[in-house]
Order: sequence, then structure tokens, then C-alpha cells
Amino acid sequence: MRILIVDDSRAMRLIVARTLRLAGYEEHELIEAVDGRHALDVVAEEPPDLVLCDWNMPQMSGLELLTALRGAGSSIPFGFVTSEASPQMRVTALQAGAMFLIAKPFTAQDFQDALDPVLA
Amino acid sequence: MVIDDSSAMRLILGRIMRSLGFDVVEAPNGAEAIARLQSGAMPDIALVDWNMPVMDGLAFVNAVRREEKWRQITLMMVTTESEQSQIVRALAAGAHEYVIKPFTPDAIADKLALLGVLAY
Amino acid sequence: MPYIPSADDLEVITREVWTSFLDGDPAGLIATSSEMPADKITGCVHLTGAYTGSIMLQCSPPAARQAAAALFSIAPENVTQSEVVDAIGEIANMVGGNVKSMLPGPSALSLPSVVQGLLSVPGAQVVREVQLSWHAQPLFVSLWQQAS
Repeated sequence: MRILIVDDSRAMRLIVARTLRLAGYEEHELIEAVDGRHALDVVAEEPPDLVLCDWNMPQMSGLELLTALRGAGSSIPFGFVTSEASPQMRVTALQAGAMFLIAKPFTAQDFQDALDPVLA
Repeated sequence: MVIDDSSAMRLILGRIMRSLGFDVVEAPNGAEAIARLQSGAMPDIALVDWNMPVMDGLAFVNAVRREEKWRQITLMMVTTESEQSQIVRALAAGAHEYVIKPFTPDAIADKLALLGVLAY
Repeated sequence: MPYIPSADDLEVITREVWTSFLDGDPAGLIATSSEMPADKITGCVHLTGAYTGSIMLQCSPPAARQAAAALFSIAPENVTQSEVVDAIGEIANMVGGNVKSMLPGPSALSLPSVVQGLLSVPGAQVVREVQLSWHAQPLFVSLWQQAS
């Protein structure tokens, strides 16, 4: 399976990739996008099986990316990885079409809990 | 011309239109779109989002229909389920067609074929 | 009176970020007052809305390099300036985002800024501060509020 990691911070993309491996998803192909525009290019060329996306990014937020994808008929599984994880945030995320929201900082267990149902 | 305040949606719609053979010009709201038209842009078709800041979709349709020189521009609204009831107003104001989100590239192509603007 | 996170809350949040991504040893981060050098690295996020203010993270340049080294899994001497900016920015984002969850909402969280030296936010006053030490290097976390 292909997992797309979207975050403008290279440090965070590395951490997410590292945590995916620690959580036991090392057999999946991991691809990275530096922002929403790049993510859309990847989705158009070869759609991933899951998108893990930061919330707050320059030029295009994760929410804007998800809303546009859903608006264009895409049902790609999508989850947020964000430093803001209030109940309202979760509701907003789910209503926009996200399957889960993982709060930063996170553990490998947090990833397993959120991703196992999606990648099983 | 693709008119939408979401840069993600402009990217997605732009890609769809290019794949159908169109050249694409973008604007983030109705006012900027009008400015483009006034400086000489003459699109065959404009895809118009309903809800935008500064000048929304309905106001844009009204503004375009007031000018004889823009008469041949086909106007297609891109709208959400909840805005459907308002589409009657857009059609009455002079929009030709509408497509509802979530749309697929085929749905857009079908509507364009209906309108006779497809650049085969 | 709406709840404003305490200095302890700031410390707990910083610890969570540190033990998750930077230093698995909880004893690596201790609460102690120390002096912050003038050439400190400052990471900052701003909040606008129901709460308007900022969350600032300051640390010494060696601590900033250590943080980047930990996040990027490289040796501190190989850390570049852009990696320091990325690392401190992301840490400020994580601490700030978690502090935001404890503040009255709704508010918008800005993207992080990172500077070397003092970052002054006109009109803002510090309302909470915690002084920490990471491997003998100073690390301060503070919450600011815009005077209305």
C-alpha cells in the first residue's frame, strides 16, 4: 500500500515515517509531499491508499486539501496529524471527510490505533 | 476560467479542464475574475464557485450578463448540495449550467458536452 | 474567569513533546532557572481569536542544534541552519498547538516563525513562563497575551 505523508516540515515528515515503521507498517511504500499542491500532483498521478496530512501549512491548509479532494469525488482515506486536537477540531475534520485525527506529539501506539482499521 | 477561493479546488478543476483540452486561467473570486475579463481575457467557459469572498458566484454571473461583449462566455456554476436551491437564481441570472460537488471529471465532461463547449 | 494554562501545564506539554520525539529520557529535561544567552533561538506561534497572544520557545543555539539533530537523526555538528529553523518551528507548533487546546476558543494558530535573538511582540505581555534545562542548556517556554 502507498501512504502519502503531507507536511511542510521535513522534520515532521521524517518523524511520521519513522513512527509508521515503529508501528509495524514498514512494508508499505511511503511517499512525501511538501505541501497541498504537491500532494494534489501525487494524487492525480498515482493515488495513494492513505493520506496523512498536517493541518496548518502555508498556501493550502490540510482542511482545504481534503475539502477539495472530497468535492472532486475522491474517497481516498485521509487522516490528519496535527498539534491542535481539540474536540471541535476532530468534529471539523470528520465532517470534512477525514477518518481520524492524530494529535502531535504521538506514539507508535497512536498510529496503530488510528491506522489498523484503515489499512487492515 | 476557473473561479474559486480554494486554491486546491482551482488546481483540481484546472487539471480536469486541461485534460479536456482547455487552456486555463484562474481567479480566486468574482472581482478578480471580472478584472481579468476587463483586461482582455475571453474564456469560452467559466467554472464559477458559489461561495467566494469579495464577489460571490451569483454577483459574478450578474456582472458578466450586464456586458454585451461577454455574452458568448458560457457560465457553469460549481455548487454544493446545500446550495442547490439557490442555483435557480443563478440560472435565472444567466448561468447556463451547474455541477454539484462531489463531482467526477466525467460529470464535468458530460455537462460541457451538453453545453457544446467541449474542445474535441 | 476562563482557564489559562499554568506554568506546570506548559512544562507538561513541553515534556510530552520532548519524550515523544527528542529525548526518551524524562530526566533529561529539568525545571531550573538559568540564564538565556542573547544569541538564543526563538520559535513562536501566534493565536488570534477568542485568545490573542503567542507561545514562545527559547533555547540556546547548542540546544537548538541538539533538537534538530534528534529530529533529523543526524549528528549535531552536521545540522544546517534550515534544519534548526524547521525543527524549532515544528516544536513551537507542537507546544503551541497543545497550549491552544487549553485556551478559550475559537482561535486560529499561525504558522511558526523562528529567529535568532529576542522576538518582541508589540502590545503583548507574558502571562506564564517555565524555565527548563535540557542537558545543561536553557530552554524557556512562555505564553503571552495581547493587551486588549
